[in-house]
Amino acid sequence: MNTHVILKTEGLCKYWGGLRALDDISLTFHDRQLHGVVGPNGAGKSTLLNLLCGHYKPTSGKIIHEGEPIDAIKPWAFARRGIGRSFQKTNIYPSATCLENCCIAAQRRMGGSFNFLRSRHHQTVLEELATNALEKVGLAKRRDQVAAHISYGEQRQLEIAMVLATSPCVLLLDEPMAGMGHEESLLIIDLLKRLKQEYCIVLVEHDMDAIFELSDQLTVMVDGQHLTTGSVEQVREDPRVREAYLGQGDEVY
Amino acid sequence: MLFQKRTERIFIWVFFPLALMMPLFLEQNTFYVSKLTTIMIFAIFVMSLDYLVGRCGLITLGHAMFYGLGGYIFVMIAPEYDAVNFWIYTFYICAISALIALVIGFLVLRTSGIYMIMITLAFAQMTFYFFSDSIEFGGNDGVFIYVKPDTSLFGISMFDLDNPIHFYYLCLLSLFNTLFFFRLVTRSRFGRVIDAIHENPGRTTALGYNVFVFRLMAYVMASALGAYAGYLFTMQYGFVNPSMLSWQTSGSALVMSILGGLGTLYGAILGTVVYEGLHYVLEHMTEHWLLFMGALIILMVILFKNGIAGYLEKLLEKRS
Repeated sequence: MNTHVILKTEGLCKYWGGLRALDDISLTFHDRQLHGVVGPNGAGKSTLLNLLCGHYKPTSGKIIHEGEPIDAIKPWAFARRGIGRSFQKTNIYPSATCLENCCIAAQRRMGGSFNFLRSRHHQTVLEELATNALEKVGLAKRRDQVAAHISYGEQRQLEIAMVLATSPCVLLLDEPMAGMGHEESLLIIDLLKRLKQEYCIVLVEHDMDAIFELSDQLTVMVDGQHLTTGSVEQVREDPRVREAYLGQGDEVY
Repeated sequence: MLFQKRTERIFIWVFFPLALMMPLFLEQNTFYVSKLTTIMIFAIFVMSLDYLVGRCGLITLGHAMFYGLGGYIFVMIAPEYDAVNFWIYTFYICAISALIALVIGFLVLRTSGIYMIMITLAFAQMTFYFFSDSIEFGGNDGVFIYVKPDTSLFGISMFDLDNPIHFYYLCLLSLFNTLFFFRLVTRSRFGRVIDAIHENPGRTTALGYNVFVFRLMAYVMASALGAYAGYLFTMQYGFVNPSMLSWQTSGSALVMSILGGLGTLYGAILGTVVYEGLHYVLEHMTEHWLLFMGALIILMVILFKNGIAGYLEKLLEKRS
């Protein structure tokens, strides 16, 4: 893997009291690649994402973004550095329209949020950025609908659009396909295939079909620990993975 | 259009012309003029609270602290027997109370929900006892102001504050400006972030906004306007006393803002007028007016889900 390393963790640990949620994780995330993270429940996947986006502070270890350690900065500053995330549980502004949801995201990128006056010019630019983000995820037709009234799958797409509107360099996606039907999942898989050509994506997902299909790099975690990282083929053939994660059975999923 | 909602535009076109003409009908009766003036002043205070509670989601029970401070700052910095300039002192009072709000907000806004209610209340009570126990500020009697400020701006005096009708117009103008100002803020890019924070603070942080700083700005703004209202009140009655700082003042302002319709801003005016109107009418009918007042308020809160403004919106917006 010769591509540019955007985000890196070194010996990342997170303890909750005596519980080791995450233990000594060192990973590298590359530009224009999708890095899948799988593992059974409680493996620490979501904790890893929460650390990467600054939502939790690591107990020890480092997070390095573009060569600079960022584990001590504030949660909101992570997003300012271009690390955007979506949540496991849909996290949008339900009372606002899809366009407004994306506008507020784009506005952070554009600045001027301490401006107390309205500016028509600014609004046009914002709406353009927001519309672009909606088009990227295929939600342009829902532009003026209130977010609470669109389907669940569309809300998940909207959340990705909001992250895109902040012009991120890293996308941290926490189970974007959770609770989706087959058809909707296919849409998201398609979307992620397109997005990974432009962004570094870290994807936590339970849908094995999807993650095997999408990942350039795949990390398996068990009990807060790093088991293995490699290409999908390498991971699939690793006997330890079969044993630890998939159990003794013959069926992979 | 700045005032987006039809109901709000109708309200403005009905309320402000009526209020403008009011002194013509009441010319003989300065009692009513001064009563109305007090209502206008308090509506400014309620609106600033409504912005905090309804738009920012910051529930405070200590907003009266700034109402009182507006008055006390004035008696502290103004010379006792000289008329000061109204506009310059407006600036001073807003600036000083904004600074105080910056410090207090810095502490208070680290908490949220019930804890924030408690801490704001604690700060307000501390201020209350500080002034009611201090001999220098007249204890429970407060301080009298002997000379009203003059309102000349670039050598032109617009209002004679000794004249109740002039003062009434000054307060009405202030009320309109406050509504105008808050509406400008809510429609601005800053206001959008505030709305986003109110709806979903976690998401807003994840988008890269420093939620604390935005809340602090809003808190400072609302507190300075609350202090301005207190300054006007002090001006009207010529004295300041600790009851302005009491939690009852905060509480009744909160009731008015809920009655009017939380977060609607113009609802604060409706809430204040209706509350004070009921107060006046019931007070003259019975000694136990508080009992009936309480019952009426419970009834209204049940009947109008989003306050009076919410009810009017349901009536008026549907037909458009």
